Amino acid sequence: MSTVDDPRERLEFLQGTLEVLILRSLQLGPNHAYGITQFLEQQSGEEFVVDNGSLYPALQRLLQRAWIVAQWKTSPNGRRAKYYRLTPAGRKQLAAATSRWERFVAAMGRILAAEG
Amino acid sequence: MRALWSKLRRFITGRRELTGDLEAEIAAHLEFEIDGQIARGIQPEEARAAARRRLGNLTRIEEHARDAWTFPPLESFAQDIRYGWRAIRRSPGFALIVVLTLALGIGATTAIFSVVNAVLLRPLPYPSAARLVTLGESDPKAEGISVTWVNYQHWRNENHSFEDMAGFRMAQLTLTGRGDAALTRAGLVTSSFFALLGARPLLGRTFTEAEDQPGAAPVVVLDYRLWAGRFGADPAILGAALALDGTPYTVIGVMPPGLRFFAGGADYYLPLHRFEGPVTDRSRHGSMRLLARLKPGATLGSALADMNGIMRRLAEADPGPESQHRAYGVFLTESTAGDTRPALLMLMAAAAFVLIIACANVASVVLARATAREREIAIRAAIGAGRRRLLRQLLTESLLLAAFGGAAGSLLAQWGARTLVAVGPRAIPRLAETAFDARVLWFAIAVTLLTGLFTGIAPVLAAGRLDLVSALKDSGRTATGRSGQRSRGALVTAEVAITLMLAFAAGLLLRNLIAAETADPGFVPGHVLSLQLTLPRAAYPGPPAIARFYGALEQDLRTLPGVTAVGAVNCPPSGGDCGDWFYSVLDRPAPAPGEVPIALFNDADRDYFSTMHIPLREGRAFRDTDRPSAPPAAIVNATFARKWWPRKSAIGQRIKFGGPYREGPVYEIVGVAGDVSQMGLGTEVYPEVYLPFAQSPDRGMVVMIRSAGDAASLAPAVRARVKTLDGNLPVVSLAPFTESLAASLDQRRFSTLLLALFAALAMLLAAIGIYGLLNYWVRMREAEIAIRMALGASARSILGWAAWQALRLSLAGAAIGILASWAAGRWLGSFFPDVAAHGLTTLAAAAVAIALMAVLAAAIPAWRAAQVDAAHQLHCS
Repeated sequence: MSTVDDPRERLEFLQGTLEVLILRSLQLGPNHAYGITQFLEQQSGEEFVVDNGSLYPALQRLLQRAWIVAQWKTSPNGRRAKYYRLTPAGRKQLAAATSRWERFVAAMGRILAAEG
Repeated sequence: MRALWSKLRRFITGRRELTGDLEAEIAAHLEFEIDGQIARGIQPEEARAAARRRLGNLTRIEEHARDAWTFPPLESFAQDIRYGWRAIRRSPGFALIVVLTLALGIGATTAIFSVVNAVLLRPLPYPSAARLVTLGESDPKAEGISVTWVNYQHWRNENHSFEDMAGFRMAQLTLTGRGDAALTRAGLVTSSFFALLGARPLLGRTFTEAEDQPGAAPVVVLDYRLWAGRFGADPAILGAALALDGTPYTVIGVMPPGLRFFAGGADYYLPLHRFEGPVTDRSRHGSMRLLARLKPGATLGSALADMNGIMRRLAEADPGPESQHRAYGVFLTESTAGDTRPALLMLMAAAAFVLIIACANVASVVLARATAREREIAIRAAIGAGRRRLLRQLLTESLLLAAFGGAAGSLLAQWGARTLVAVGPRAIPRLAETAFDARVLWFAIAVTLLTGLFTGIAPVLAAGRLDLVSALKDSGRTATGRSGQRSRGALVTAEVAITLMLAFAAGLLLRNLIAAETADPGFVPGHVLSLQLTLPRAAYPGPPAIARFYGALEQDLRTLPGVTAVGAVNCPPSGGDCGDWFYSVLDRPAPAPGEVPIALFNDADRDYFSTMHIPLREGRAFRDTDRPSAPPAAIVNATFARKWWPRKSAIGQRIKFGGPYREGPVYEIVGVAGDVSQMGLGTEVYPEVYLPFAQSPDRGMVVMIRSAGDAASLAPAVRARVKTLDGNLPVVSLAPFTESLAASLDQRRFSTLLLALFAALAMLLAAIGIYGLLNYWVRMREAEIAIRMALGASARSILGWAAWQALRLSLAGAAIGILASWAAGRWLGSFFPDVAAHGLTTLAAAAVAIALMAVLAAAIPAWRAAQVDAAHQLHCS
């Protein structure tokens, strides 16, 4: 999570969350690596900066688990790019991970918000 | 299974597709990034740089993405091997030397180990073989003497430590009625013997305890060897009769092949107790030993304590001359290996030392190369290779070289082991079972790994200390170079020390062997043909028949043309222990029951001493008047006479057979014969008593026939004369006596030769080590030598200076080697008792040989140092 060209402190991904976020970004439709980066940075309100050194291995891991598949396509502006698409297994995994995350956040929230 | 397969396939195809694909994908990513930058209003020429910055390190991204598909440790290991392979291919000469040296060391060690494995380590092919022991009796003077039948009965019935016991002994019986009469080897055993060895008959059955009683009908169980050989594997043999020493035995069974319990094998097995007849005397010894299996959990020590309890009770209930006797036992694996054990262990140690020297040489070469590669390593460290990764790679290189060396060494070992089996003396038990089995393979692998680690660790230590900055800055000598040179010096010192020790040990054995071969044997062995016979009981029932036969035979042989003398003896020189017994000297105070002396007892006839040219120091030889009716006479050897009467004549003295506590005749000493060693050439001579053949005829005699010409050419005529006298009498052996004498030294010659071979190998390797070290030293110092020369040093002083570098190390090595030799000599002396005699001269000779080797090895590089062209050198640098 590079902070090289931005002095503002950015958030780091928690271990394993990048993969869930990639799945989430593909829920809207197939996308390429650059597109995924853009999506994540915009959606996080520029809080996250995606390091490509983490993104590509994460994509490979998702491919290995068959949660996504890849295909070369031409983008709307005419460039060839490798598009990633969610598989049904990936969709299921996203749902499971989302609900787990929500429980986790709720639990964290309850603890952190509780009056000491 | 299908899921696993599809997963695997995805893994493989995914990985293959990735390589080209990833590059294209990242390139596309970069284009998107540039588009994005331009869209934000950045100038196109700056946009590319900004995009590159945002994208990050392309190589790293690719590597990480690829890593997602691999097991990184394995991958980088494979890479290490690839790098190592590349480094080896870059310098094939270096690799060849290293591999050959290691192959030599590993090969020698593994070959000897495969023999050790077969003879000493591999379990005997019996069930629970590790718990099998052989038992004998012991008294205060001797261990492992035979067990009496009565004691065996008590041991078997009263012990709490053994699952079962069986008695066994060898006998030689004459087989007649089936082709030529033949002397055959009988294994006399009690009925439990077969079960103890887990041996089931191939045909028929083995005998029962009821059949092993005095007076039972005679039965025989054939060994596979006799059945398949003489009887052509005829299954109809069951129920047939076999005439052994004239008694018909009914064949009741045939054992399967591979029952190799008796040394030299048995032709058949007979019930022991039936053969020996009834015995009630507790002290009547035959030559029976026992085979027994310990109960699980019982130790040999506790079992012997148990047996000794029985012996003490027996001694109290029935006191006798043997009240002091106790039980004695060794594990069967040990007693089978016998006296080959120390020789094999010595050879194993020698081979290991050769391997150590080989390793030292290789480590030295690798170290020199590591110093030369210092800059390469420093550069790689500087451009970001992890230090641990670098070290691991150096080690991988060494392991790779060791693996090649190990593979070549294993081939060498197989060849070597086959050669050892082919030329090794037959007397080594189980030698023929030598094979390259799993245990030998594991040994070779372990040795190879150790070698790789040992030879790899030196450069790794050197590289670990590597100071990057100075290594990169200085082009010439560096800190590591100097300490590397010091380590190499230490290695060479160690090599010289070990070589000296091996040369010393080999020299000791060699001098000993030569001494044995050239020592005055006490007789003249040349021109003597020896004829060994054993008369069967059936045809020759008693002393008169035996005496008549040998008398007629000798008379007959004397008439053969070329024969100058004929005499017979029961136990020929170097014939081994043919029987010893207690005795006492009359006129001397009776010794305590445990202190009764023992001497070898032998039978010789009238002409034996003159035929063999054994001098009579005092008195006379046997005469025809030493008849059975005459007073018992004896001739003792010089050692016997010296022991009792060092200052006066032994003639007329009387000795009692059996000692004061046993029945036995009294002999009068009529002569003293020169010493002849019974245990082998050059070995210690024991007190020995010869009895006249006429007064105590023995069935088994060796007839010595001295000829004027070639002894061997007499053999056919001699054989014919035996056949005329008794067509049914098998000839046990008929050969020039020098041959059987030489055979008695086979085993010593074998181990001495091997040790000498190892010492020579060690010397060669050490010489190469010294040469390599000094050569390198000179190369590194050419500039320094040039400066010295320019400052006026003569070529001669340079020569001396360089040679001194090698000699200094050699002298240090020799000093350590002399200490090690002293230890080795003591160790050798502990199992080769007559080895220590030539210690100092041999040590001096070995040291001189090593010094010569060092000088020769140092000569060429030292000379090269003196030839350095000062002007050229200084000009170039």
